[in-house]
Parts: sequence; C-alpha cells; structure tokens
Amino acid sequence: MVIKVGDVFPDAVLTYIPYDAANPDACGLPQQLKTHEAFKGKKVVLFAVPGAFTPTCSEEHMPGYVSGAQDLRAKGAEIVACVSSNDQFVMHAWGKSYNVKDDILMLSDANGELGGKLGLVNDGTARRMGPIRLARFAIIIDNLKVTYVGVEPAPGVTVSGFPAVMAKL
Amino acid sequence: TLDTVTDFANKKVVIFAVPGAFTPTCSAQHLPGYLAKVGELKAKGVDLIIGTSSNDFFVLDAWGKQQGVTDKILLVSDANGELGRATGLTLDLTSKGLGPGRLTRFAAVVVDGKVTYLEQEPNPGEVSVSGVDAVLAAL
Repeated sequence: MVIKVGDVFPDAVLTYIPYDAANPDACGLPQQLKTHEAFKGKKVVLFAVPGAFTPTCSEEHMPGYVSGAQDLRAKGAEIVACVSSNDQFVMHAWGKSYNVKDDILMLSDANGELGGKLGLVNDGTARRMGPIRLARFAIIIDNLKVTYVGVEPAPGVTVSGFPAVMAKL
Repeated sequence: TLDTVTDFANKKVVIFAVPGAFTPTCSAQHLPGYLAKVGELKAKGVDLIIGTSSNDFFVLDAWGKQQGVTDKILLVSDANGELGRATGLTLDLTSKGLGPGRLTRFAAVVVDGKVTYLEQEPNPGEVSVSGVDAVLAAL
C-alpha cells in the first residue's frame, strides 16, 4: 500500500547529524527527527535516494536539489530534505561532499521505518546492497498532508527530480 | 566480488571490520591505523589487508577515497550480511539508528583459510585488540 496524494504523511523517527556552522568539519552528534513533530505546519520537499554515493543518486538526482534548494525555498518550501537507508554518518558525509550546509537536511532511515510506512522500500540483496533500500521518489508535504508523490518507475530521474518538484510547488 | 574461500587460499590475510564507514571511531582511529602500517604488515608476510563493514560498496569506495586508501587496503562490503551471519560477529545498533546487522569491530588473521587470531573490541567505541598494533604483535 503505497503513499498517495491526500494521505497524511506517516510519523517516523529518522536520524541525522546537524550542520554546525561554527564547526563544519567536526564529527557531529546524531540527532533524531520525528517527522510529525518536525514537519507539522510546514511545507516540506522530501526526496529519497536508494544509495548515497551511488552513480545515479550522486550524478543525476542530488545535484538538481543542491543547486535548486534556494529556488524551492523561494516557492515556499520550508524544509528540503534527502532521505535514504544509509546511516546518518554516511548521509552527513555525502551531504558534505556537495557542501550542502543546512540547505538540505540529510536524513537517515537506516531501519527502514519511514520506507516501510510509505510502502516505498525495496530489498537490494540481489544487487549486494542489503535488505533495506528506499525507492527513488519525491514527496511534497503540506502540514503533514501529501500533495505530490513522484515515484520513479524505472532507473533514472524524472518525476522525483528537482524540476518535477519545482513545477508542483 | 571477493570470495573468502578462493581468494584467501594459500594467503596470509589480515581482515578488520568496522561498524560504520564515516563514523568517528572508524574514521579517526581504526582505518587510519591500518593505513599507516601497511608496510609493516606486508613486511610480516601479509598478502592481503581487508577492511570490511556492512555499508555497501559505493559507500566504502567513497570512504576509501576520502581516507586515501588507494589499493593498499581492500575495502569490501558485507551489505547483505553474509559474513556477519557466517561468523556471528554482528551487533544490533538499531537504538543508535544504525540498523540491526552491523559487523562488530574486530580484527582477524587468516592463514590459508584458518583463523589464527580473532579479537572483538569489548567496547566498539575504542580500538585496542582490533587495531593494527595488536595484529602486528600477533603476526
């Protein structure tokens, strides 16, 4: 049962390492983010990648959001976040490699809790990527209500990419 | 892929595992220790030095690049948990948001497929019996 427009976005606990402007190279301490608490009353753009540091995610998906994060904010997105099943340390390092600072919240769903609740989690064992991998998707959430869902039907970036989301904001 | 049976045959292998690439202890203390002493390990007859974790191979590749590993240490992924299940050397780090099947911090010396040294860190936040100095002393 996959999340769809009109649904209430599920409550889940994600982990992340906050950007510390005073100490950008430090190994920060992980924090928890509860989606209902963090997203309540806000417009959120959340995009998911199967894997940090993997080719499509790194070369096609993430860069669009990195360069477009400010445009999304200008259109009213208060939070722009990236989530994957990689852990928070990996997500933090990946975000650093793009110098995202706090433009994009790099969230970890390592336990697959959010993915499971959205119905958008896959088993990557056959590709030696472990049993929990999120699908590639983008969701727009407005005060916890889902207003857009773009799940990639095939490898590549179309409905989950920055241009598609910009058009829908 | 690396097959521990065929690729370890007739070789002296040092293998160390980290709970997570890019995590503080693993990045600041565990991997760098091995990287700095590759020469000493080779001088003691080690044919292959392997670092492994349950991260996938893309993450390990990026981590290795960041740490300057080049080809001195082979970073291999046990993302499917096969090695973890076969050895039982796993930790449930769900409470830390790192999932249920992380490899523990350990080091092993494998000579022609036989384990001659194996030590797990009693405290995964530290590096002692699984560090390069302990392994060098055991070689």
